Amino acid sequence: MEDGLSNSTPSDRIKLNVGGKLFETTVSTLRSGGPDSLLAALSHRHHQSSNPIFIDRDPEIFSVLLSLLRTNRLPSTSRRFTDQELSDEASYYGIESQLKSAMLPNPLSGIDASVVATIRPASDGVVSAFTTIDDGSVWIAHGGQISVYDWNLTHAGTVRTHLDYITSIRQVTPSAMAAVACDVSSGVHFYNFANGRRVGSVEWTDPTDPRIYKARVTTITESPESVFAAFDSYHKENCVLAIDKSTLQVTSEIGRQSGSSSKSIVPGNLTYVKDLGLLAANAVTSGAFGFSGYIRFWDPRSARVVWETNEPGSGRSSRFGDSFADVSIDVNEVTMCKICSKSGDLAMADLRKLSDDPWIYLRDTNPSLRNTSGGISNSVVHCYKKQVFVGRDGGLEVWSRVAQNGEHNMEIGEESFRRNYMDKLEDSERGIIKKIEGAGERLFVSREEAEGLEVWQSSVFSGAVLVL
Amino acid sequence: MTLFLPSNPLSNRVPKTPQDFTKPNIVTIDVGGQLFQTTKQTLTLAGSNTLFSNLFNSSEQNNTIPFIDRDPELFSILLSLLRTGYLPSKAKSFEIQDLVFEAKFYGVQDFLVESQSNPSQFEAFDLEKSMILPLSGRDSPSAIATTLNGSVHVSHGSKITSFDWSLQRKSTILTQFSAVDSLLSLSSNVVAAGATDFSGLQIIDLEMGFVVKTLNWENVTKSGSTVQAIGSSPEFLFTSFESSRRNSNSILVYDLNDGFKVASEIGHNEIFGADLDSAIPSTKLNWVPSLNLLMASGSHSGPSGVSGNIKFWDIRSRDLVAEIKEKVDCFSDITVSDTLSAVFKIGMNSGEVSYIDFRNMSSDNSWNCLGVSRKAMNVKKEGLGCKIESHGNQVFCSKEGELELWSEVLMGSLTTGKNGKEERIFKQNVLGRSKDIGGNRITNLGFGGNKMFVTRKDQQCVEVWQSSVRRF
Repeated sequence: MEDGLSNSTPSDRIKLNVGGKLFETTVSTLRSGGPDSLLAALSHRHHQSSNPIFIDRDPEIFSVLLSLLRTNRLPSTSRRFTDQELSDEASYYGIESQLKSAMLPNPLSGIDASVVATIRPASDGVVSAFTTIDDGSVWIAHGGQISVYDWNLTHAGTVRTHLDYITSIRQVTPSAMAAVACDVSSGVHFYNFANGRRVGSVEWTDPTDPRIYKARVTTITESPESVFAAFDSYHKENCVLAIDKSTLQVTSEIGRQSGSSSKSIVPGNLTYVKDLGLLAANAVTSGAFGFSGYIRFWDPRSARVVWETNEPGSGRSSRFGDSFADVSIDVNEVTMCKICSKSGDLAMADLRKLSDDPWIYLRDTNPSLRNTSGGISNSVVHCYKKQVFVGRDGGLEVWSRVAQNGEHNMEIGEESFRRNYMDKLEDSERGIIKKIEGAGERLFVSREEAEGLEVWQSSVFSGAVLVL
Repeated sequence: MTLFLPSNPLSNRVPKTPQDFTKPNIVTIDVGGQLFQTTKQTLTLAGSNTLFSNLFNSSEQNNTIPFIDRDPELFSILLSLLRTGYLPSKAKSFEIQDLVFEAKFYGVQDFLVESQSNPSQFEAFDLEKSMILPLSGRDSPSAIATTLNGSVHVSHGSKITSFDWSLQRKSTILTQFSAVDSLLSLSSNVVAAGATDFSGLQIIDLEMGFVVKTLNWENVTKSGSTVQAIGSSPEFLFTSFESSRRNSNSILVYDLNDGFKVASEIGHNEIFGADLDSAIPSTKLNWVPSLNLLMASGSHSGPSGVSGNIKFWDIRSRDLVAEIKEKVDCFSDITVSDTLSAVFKIGMNSGEVSYIDFRNMSSDNSWNCLGVSRKAMNVKKEGLGCKIESHGNQVFCSKEGELELWSEVLMGSLTTGKNGKEERIFKQNVLGRSKDIGGNRITNLGFGGNKMFVTRKDQQCVEVWQSSVRRF
């Protein structure tokens, strides 16, 4: 559409009669929907006749889609139709990918984002676990059900599982299969979302050790080949099992430990760092003497520990007694960050340069946030798109980098991030933030005891409100 | 004031006889399957290098009706805009964003801006609160900067959010400031930003989101230089710097057309001993085009109350042309109106508006109080936090949450006051309908396009006031 004006011969022009309304456009516009679309197919057969091609569909919605093909953006008239109608009609014409890219959210910028939707499953609305997929869709576990919301946040379906209460969920990419687990009953279970059936289950068994019995799964993650699940037996014996995605059989056992101390309890979180080929686990417990826990990296092939840290570490550390309350690993940036339990400070580490003390404690001088550190009992941290999102009780803040002289300096420095509130005071009153996860330029936030899942997005629209 | 004038719009428009069609003057265009007829004149209004100008060149060549593969309805609206200079009312069935996008495609976005956000459409007496622009996060606006076409940049906390002229699109960037105290727009997406707790003036490109240049004042004490005020004339950028040790200050004049090169330095003050009054940094810089002078004013609070000064500088010779010393009822905020040829202030103690006609500034430089003049001896600081700004023929003044509009009443014959001088009559009215009056204390007032922008304490939004005429 660069020149817009078509100086080309009239034979490039094409007339369409959609539901009785005449449209005229060019062959190139119709073909911009991709070679396999219905419109591209129609564009091939018109040349002989001057009669418009008749399509028996609604003309109004067609005019929206024609605008989309001409300009690559949705006109405001598209708001007369629901997202569902648009996507149904786009798939009829075979131009869903165009629609999808036009409806994609803007790049997520924490300093300028707001709640655009709250996904509320129809029953058992309190979200117990969720997992996000790169295209911005989300799989929500609520009670014993799994509900899938697609890239458009439209409800794509719900599956009832045999579990009473799902506490961990993970999509097994690229299949339409979910791995789910519960913290009171044993095993990890695989459900095929297409037909709603359970396709397999994996239990941790060890014929040589009678204590390994009815082990529960605390967290699930995946690599391109395997699913990893952390198992915890009633005797606190725990390990991570690698499960082959195609056979759903256990391929290896990683990091088995007794669970007798905070250094050997079951991981509460697993992350697979693709760039390094490492599996990261972290565990946090809080007791009378504060928080304690570990972060450990394994090579999943050799089941060898590559790096680990325990907190509180040795008494020599200046941060002794200020161990982390939550850890998040940014798989794309190959960094991790932790939030300190006592001071509320945020620290970052480069996973490529792990040493005895890899942490860089970020400093911020924002006076409006000064009194929010400390005294917070619930902290959640999540890294996404070079930003760090922190939930402190109900409040949501974002740490973002300041652009320096036109380029983003990728070195992590004490002052390379700035902290800002992302939410308003009213937002923070909706409940304690339980989990934050980003995907597809969206940030999903679940809150304790609150129904639904909040979706935060950035928008270029000002959201101006008329007050006349 | 309209920048475009359709030349004799009715001539040659309607063909009277069929043979008129043969006239090359009439252009037929097929847009998305719908035929439109207009004249060359109408299309040439769009400018020489737009889609339209290429259009009839091609149609003349091969004698065919040119075809544009776009939406016909949007085109018909933009064609009306070209014909009349105004948007037809049927445009309201679309959102302004559609029109902006389509106008960009045809290269006629300037017409759209003209018709919707023309400064000549600003009508002080017809302002009503029409819109709220929400800001993300929990920080309240600290400063605003407006542009001629009505876009507005708002700093809140360490962020600057920009709204485009249609106020429908926004973008936010992160700065190195913890809060911006002075903000001034230099072009549609470049601002100068400074703060009293941050060393250096930053020139920020809001579109790219980074600092283009940092300007510092090399002061004697070799400490940082904080920004107290920013102002500009068409050619120059003025910045009032104070050293971080607060013992010296100066106003730097930068050449806007020469990469911010320092053109001159005026009013350099250094504090020796306890003579604080001699070195008050300027906290407001106003360019007075008719005098070709820079008005720099500053005040500080001392043991004997608030005192300050207002200085008029010739920026080329660096001479101090005039000075008003503020001992009694020093200004809380001050502005200058070129169209009214007067300096207006709100007294710190009285909270009343006073003016001095700068055309006949006498040696005593006495203020003409527009309110109760005896309140000047107030011990209460009634004017604290009040804002005063001039725009067009009016002076806008905020007192807590209320907005007052001062305008001059021209009486035909001159009236002579008690002191024998000619007296001008200014009258005040409160802005807004009763539901819009009041609210939190007003922290910023700005004007751009046909709109007024207001920010308030603890409100994470910007209020837009505009005239009811031709609002989209």
